[in-house]
Amino acid sequence: MDLENQARVKALAEQYGSDDLIVILGGAEAESCGLTAETVSAGDPTFAGPLAGVPLGLKAYHIFELKDEIDPGIYDEQIAMMEMVMDADAIKGEVTTYRGA
Amino acid sequence: MRFPVIKGAAYALIHANDMVLHQGSTQTSEARLNPGSEYLKALPAHLRSFQEVVAYPPNQVYIGNLRPAALKAIPRPWRENPVSGAGREGKFGEIMPLDEFYGLVKAADMFDLVLMEGNYQKATAAKLATHSAVADWKTLAALEKGYAPPERIRELVAGGQAEPMYLAGQLIGCVRKAHDFDAALSEHVMFENLVSKASAAFCLSLLLRKTGLPATAVEYIIECSEEACGDMNQRGGGNFAKAIGELCGCVNATGSDTRGFCAGPVHALVEAAALVRAGVYRDVVVVAGGASAKLGMNGKDHVRKGLPILEDTLGAFAVHIGADDGLSPILRIDIVGRHRIGSGAAPQAVMRAIVTDPLDQGGIPLADVDCFSAELQNPEITEPAGAGDVPLSNYKMIAALGVTRKDFAREDLAKVVERIGMPGFAPTQGHIPSGVPFLGHCREMMLEGLLRRVMVIGKGSLFLGRLTNLFDGVSLVVEKNPGGGPEDQARVGRTRVGLTLAGSEHGEAEMLRGALLAQERDPAVEVVAIGRAAPPGLALVEAADAEAAREKMESMLASGELDAAVTMHYSFPIGVSTVGRVIAPALGRGMYIANTTGASDTSRIRAMLKNAITAIAVAKACGNETPSVGILNVEGARQVERALTDLRDHGYPIRFAASGRADGGAVMRGNDLLRGGPDIMVTDSLTGNVIVKLLSAFTAGGDRETLGDGYGPGAGEGCERIINIISRASGAPVVAGALSYAGACARGDLPGRVAGEFALARKAGLDKALAELAGPVGPAAPAGPAELAGPAGSVGPAGASAPSEPAELAGPAGASAPPGPAGAGALAAPAQAAGGERKEQTATPPPPKAVSEELTGVDILVLEDAERALWRAGIYATAGMGCTGPVILVAAADKEKAIAALKTARFL
Repeated sequence: MDLENQARVKALAEQYGSDDLIVILGGAEAESCGLTAETVSAGDPTFAGPLAGVPLGLKAYHIFELKDEIDPGIYDEQIAMMEMVMDADAIKGEVTTYRGA
Repeated sequence: MRFPVIKGAAYALIHANDMVLHQGSTQTSEARLNPGSEYLKALPAHLRSFQEVVAYPPNQVYIGNLRPAALKAIPRPWRENPVSGAGREGKFGEIMPLDEFYGLVKAADMFDLVLMEGNYQKATAAKLATHSAVADWKTLAALEKGYAPPERIRELVAGGQAEPMYLAGQLIGCVRKAHDFDAALSEHVMFENLVSKASAAFCLSLLLRKTGLPATAVEYIIECSEEACGDMNQRGGGNFAKAIGELCGCVNATGSDTRGFCAGPVHALVEAAALVRAGVYRDVVVVAGGASAKLGMNGKDHVRKGLPILEDTLGAFAVHIGADDGLSPILRIDIVGRHRIGSGAAPQAVMRAIVTDPLDQGGIPLADVDCFSAELQNPEITEPAGAGDVPLSNYKMIAALGVTRKDFAREDLAKVVERIGMPGFAPTQGHIPSGVPFLGHCREMMLEGLLRRVMVIGKGSLFLGRLTNLFDGVSLVVEKNPGGGPEDQARVGRTRVGLTLAGSEHGEAEMLRGALLAQERDPAVEVVAIGRAAPPGLALVEAADAEAAREKMESMLASGELDAAVTMHYSFPIGVSTVGRVIAPALGRGMYIANTTGASDTSRIRAMLKNAITAIAVAKACGNETPSVGILNVEGARQVERALTDLRDHGYPIRFAASGRADGGAVMRGNDLLRGGPDIMVTDSLTGNVIVKLLSAFTAGGDRETLGDGYGPGAGEGCERIINIISRASGAPVVAGALSYAGACARGDLPGRVAGEFALARKAGLDKALAELAGPVGPAAPAGPAELAGPAGSVGPAGASAPSEPAELAGPAGASAPPGPAGAGALAAPAQAAGGERKEQTATPPPPKAVSEELTGVDILVLEDAERALWRAGIYATAGMGCTGPVILVAAADKEKAIAALKTARFL
């Protein structure tokens, strides 16, 4: 996960606490989405960024998982095409893994 | 419209493995930030040999020896399946080894910045001296002298004064800084710029050699790499283009640089095409060299995964854009796609802006694009680096966009991706993969008829420049050259209108001015001049004189090479007459004058009724679906008004205009003519003719028509061709107007509109109305007085309410017109002058001949009798209407005999 983004997530979690904060992902690949989900939950597994050893316990969702929460018109306008292009099931499966119970 | 074409494309790769290590920014950054890097230690073992690079399948596709689709048949990884027997020479270009390329860098150096070790320099000079594309570079002479001592090179490099040139691990030369402290002229920048310049020039030379384009013919060069040349006061001041052209001997060219990150080449193509289309330059080259900084960009991933360094080649391309040759693929600059500043960043918005918006604008269904050439990065390079298969993602996005728009069914998604795409094969040199690498194949495949339409897409990540977060994208459609076929012309959306040049009272130059004016004002029209000569920018079909021009015009209309034509002198058969278009001076409104030449009918009043219907068809063809109709207050106006009202009452949709005068009504006064009250002013041909001349020439002193669109298209039932008439007095603006008018009639399917309009009128009782207007022609019918009472009497409604006299008697020869046979209907009585005998109304024509001679002087009232009289005399003849009145048309060989016969029968 991008180091700058790690820093931003860390700062937001410190400001607002972890209880009412989720992270929404828009990544194109399951592996990188999973890595990001892991980073914001258990800490940076590569130990390269500000979240190394900092388990924020944040839940990450890919935007595809939040389809029901979004106005269908806007979803169609902004997301529907890419949902067809990407391997949405693999991404969802990977991201879910890191949310725990 | 003639579109610019792709006349040729060339591609070059330079195997630059030593540069990967010493100039690739990933490696130089690593060396600076992480001295003793394990990656840098491991890297040399991952470099490929020249033969491996040559035999690498994507590289063979890039230089044209394999089609992109061939990669589908080669198992991945391609690096493990080399092309057997592959050579460095390609159909479109070449793969050059580094030792030769360094020689080109030296030859590209005009400021003695490149130093080379003597033995190496001599060996390279010998190789380049026999190279088929660059041997004639004058600057190769620089390789013949100035050998640098190796220690001097080492000293400069070690002292930070020069960028090293390594070959197989040996330091053989260097590029010195061009200024003591100017960072824009540092050794590093100068090295990159010289590499870019030399590789681009190499590729331009390949283009010249492979296409036969003389270097001296190039008029403009657009360079579109991602480098910047200039000094600290104008970093990026340019001009790579001219520097490249200089090396290649393009002494007649100038040029400039276009930048747009990876979208730059497609921007440059659009610009080149526009310059050619506008006639600014005839032969334009778009060129770009390679980027040494990008070598080994993803090297860390490649090394980590045990792969060779696949980013070991510099890429270059050159494309020649020229005027239409009737053969090469055309560039549809009328439907260029662009990601607008306000388009938005969502992938869907981006693809809409670049792909579907322009296609929608051009009326081309997404499914009608054979394939897309978008970001052709070799996936074998990008996938190990986590960037996926870039071309495949593009094809998926285009197909998915098509699904959201319902262009494709969702279940066909995979099939569509397969059909519209191709495997990526270009080196990841930024601007190089974006759209252009396919142009060479595309040209060849279109010439072979394998492809019809391709969209070329360039995309750029502008945010890398840290001035904006925006993204960019441009697209351009390439199509198989229609080559002048009528169907293809219709497809490309331009109407070809012929113009015969001979016969104008103002000379052919005035006609040509009108033609150029038409093309300038009306992008929907392409004018084809038919005559002796035409200026650049105007298509010419040669014809020595007026007669030859007329024949050429007829044959081209018949074959569909022309959609319509404009001419000065043309004889339409009875039943066809022209609907003119003028500008009414009071309010500047356009107004159709129905009609202006020819005769819709031998009866003047029946002709006026038909004129109204014909003109409605013309107005509809030109886009006015509900034209208002007024009838000019000439003799017979009230009869025509009654007939049209009857038709309306029986269901014919007609909208009457109202006179601007106090008493209103659909019968128009002279004032309404000046005001342009109705959209259509119905009158008889001769009056209409006078009106057009008057309203066209009154501001120009009378002898030159400068306003309006001329006398209009000949139209009538069964008339399938669109021929617009102008007069010998028509000036350039009227010629231009007539060309546009003719083009609009062709696009609006005038013949179809006329047929449809008459069918509607027939349903509402047109035939009955025509028969009533003719009326019985009895012996008691007054021959002349009724006609003469018209003009002599009041001009108001009273005069027009004259008894419904047989129309035949209202002719100009009224006084001498004889009583007709009872119930003769439409046909006129025989001429009294012919001896008072009643002629047979029927006669069998002799076998048809080509009739080209016009005999004038026969009265319109007895025109058909004269025709039949000639038939009986064994002479084939047809009655028609010329510009100045009725004519009998006969074959040239029969002319004298026909005149004699007509004189004998007192028709003349």
